[in-house]
Amino acid sequence: MDRRLRGLADQLDAGLIARREFLRRAAIITGGTAAGLDVLRRQASAQPKTKLRVWLFKSFVTAGNDVVARHIEAWAKERNVEVEMDWATFGDREQKFVAAIEAGNPPDIAEMNIYGPMRYKAALRDVSKVATETANAKGGLLPFAERAMKLDGKFLAVARYSMTTVFFIRKDIMEAKGLKPPKVYDPDVVEFARKAQDPSKDLWGFGQTLNRSDDGDSFMSNILWNYGGGVWDKDGKPAIGTMFLKQNTAALQFAVDTIQKHKIQPPGVMGWTDPSNNEAYMAGKLVTTNNGASLYYAMVSKKHELAPNTLLVLTPGGPAGSFVQSSCYNWAIFQKTKHAELCEDMIRWVEDEKRFSEYLQVSVGQAGPVYKGRVDNPYWKSDPNYDAILQNILRCVNIGYPGAMTPAAAEVQGQKVLTDMAGRVVVGGLSAEAALKEAHARVEEIYKMRRA
Amino acid sequence: MATPAAQLRASTPLPRTRAQISLHRVLGPDYRLGYLFVLPMAILVVALVAYPFGYAIYLSMTKKYVGVPPVWVGLDNYIKLTWDGFFRRAVVNSFVFTFGSVAVKLVLGIAMALVLSSRIRWRSFWTGVLLIPWVAPTVVSALNFLWIYDYSLGVLNYLLVRVFRLLPHGIGWLSEPGTAMGSVIAVNIWRGFPFFGISFLAGMKAIPGELYEAAAVDGAGALQRFFRVTLPGLKNILIIVTLLSTIWTFNDFQIVYILTKGGPGGATQVLPVFTYEIAFGAQRLGEAIAVALYMLPALAAVIIVLARYMRRGQRT
Repeated sequence: MDRRLRGLADQLDAGLIARREFLRRAAIITGGTAAGLDVLRRQASAQPKTKLRVWLFKSFVTAGNDVVARHIEAWAKERNVEVEMDWATFGDREQKFVAAIEAGNPPDIAEMNIYGPMRYKAALRDVSKVATETANAKGGLLPFAERAMKLDGKFLAVARYSMTTVFFIRKDIMEAKGLKPPKVYDPDVVEFARKAQDPSKDLWGFGQTLNRSDDGDSFMSNILWNYGGGVWDKDGKPAIGTMFLKQNTAALQFAVDTIQKHKIQPPGVMGWTDPSNNEAYMAGKLVTTNNGASLYYAMVSKKHELAPNTLLVLTPGGPAGSFVQSSCYNWAIFQKTKHAELCEDMIRWVEDEKRFSEYLQVSVGQAGPVYKGRVDNPYWKSDPNYDAILQNILRCVNIGYPGAMTPAAAEVQGQKVLTDMAGRVVVGGLSAEAALKEAHARVEEIYKMRRA
Repeated sequence: MATPAAQLRASTPLPRTRAQISLHRVLGPDYRLGYLFVLPMAILVVALVAYPFGYAIYLSMTKKYVGVPPVWVGLDNYIKLTWDGFFRRAVVNSFVFTFGSVAVKLVLGIAMALVLSSRIRWRSFWTGVLLIPWVAPTVVSALNFLWIYDYSLGVLNYLLVRVFRLLPHGIGWLSEPGTAMGSVIAVNIWRGFPFFGISFLAGMKAIPGELYEAAAVDGAGALQRFFRVTLPGLKNILIIVTLLSTIWTFNDFQIVYILTKGGPGGATQVLPVFTYEIAFGAQRLGEAIAVALYMLPALAAVIIVLARYMRRGQRT
């Protein structure tokens, strides 16, 4: 019993206070104590939980999105942290990052694509400790991923997975026509497509836009490299219309010829955006196309009739070899965060092999390895189609190749200079050489601005 | 106790300065209270319009990358843009897109208003139906048209080739330079003409019926009544609606971005999409704002004319 109430009871017993007075004072003491306890309870519960703002990439592999969200929620519960998750898609993530950074209100941690660390370098925190620790635990980073994550000797992001493109083939049509998967674009893909297509039934041998899009841009990068050319020389200087003019002219002419001369592409292909080839392939209008694993995921997860009739093979090459542009999704921590250690802890939690394996299982080939230790995961042998994804990742190169990945190279990609160049030939009527020289002027301008 | 003389001095108002007297005379006796009433709006205008606008002008004269402080470059961005072939093509495309759209919207809008002002059955129903393009979200409309225009899967080619057999094969509506611009203009027209129509309809209802009766008595035919009574009666509203639509169409981003992203090969690249590309693709914020502000004088002229007409309407 409260000491004060006991004293009052004693006074009542001794006849020092009346019963009414006892009740009045006891009510005051009890009420006051209850109110005080309530205030204390409220103060205790008002102690704010640490809040972390996490921005995630909303990929087309929706099952993977659910898994990563669940992992983060479990981590937050374990660490007694409040997490505010926000999602950004292919179409709006850069806008969100730009707006948040410029407003001085970025998230604590974000999942970015391969260009993120370079683009937002000024706003990102050095994460060398957790990146090195994670890489060491997983057998080290694959070279392309290390070059993309490590800038000026510091890791600005922790690599997560690679989402690469592969060559999709309608296996049923290929077998019916007695064809073999093409190894190079010219002449293999052209001949394959000609034999497999049937324009009268609106079935086209090859579907690859050269319009302004990520798909178009990565194809153009690959085809320039395949012919021994490229945008940059090994020192990172513009070479698209100078040193590599001859090789690039041949590459660009081939890309344009697939539409104009060989007529193996659907007539509307120059109007396509990123999802167009996925839709056309799933509608049975294409025999082959280049795409990321998300197309395979879409077919497998929906039990689409074309899923078992689809063969994924290595991206075809050219006279100088077969090149594929790299991809590396990653975790980056913003400088403005007050909870850097918590962010690092979250990365360790999510990238734990057991949890990553769970993510991998639902990704249907989209979460390609960026660590050497993940290359040997038995998952990559669980479907014959996954081998092409794995092998493409192992040979991929970063933008800027044969030079380093630079901000200028990222800007050329961002401004879609290569697809504009192709468009100038296909719809603008320029010669390949003239379009290359025009593109060179743009690249040179970007290079000068970025250097300045 | 104060003397009567002292009391008189205390109650006599202090002599006003000449400036105060003239302010009093010009602005009225309650001008101080007037300032108080205007203050909240002035603060809002400064905070939400003047400051961001001034800051944008400043940023357009800097080299500004994301997350890095701006570096003053004066008029360099504007000079560079003047000689940039892609920018100049975007300017030309913007004018083609704007005037192509507005001209057709104007004609269709008048037609819509004339039809809806005549005695037709279910007039309210048709008015509602014709307003659907205007009230539907632009993104939804544009995504629908993306499908409609698709070469292989779109309904337009299906109708032209398979159903009506008007063409031997489909057209790449968004992939050919000859049709891409026309296709995006068509979507803008579809979306925008109901605004013209409904505004003109309201204007027509305000024209006194006696004018039409007098014209009919004088022997005027339908065409003459339209040109001599309807059009003059709609003059102000016609100018205002056209100018407003010009500003909106010039700044239209969603339709072009969703349908073509400025492609193919820059054939539909317009200034808002170009601004977006420079800001978020290249992440050169200073230059992007310079692109956006470059056409400001032309748009300002339109806005001034518009404001003048709107105020004239107020006075009358």
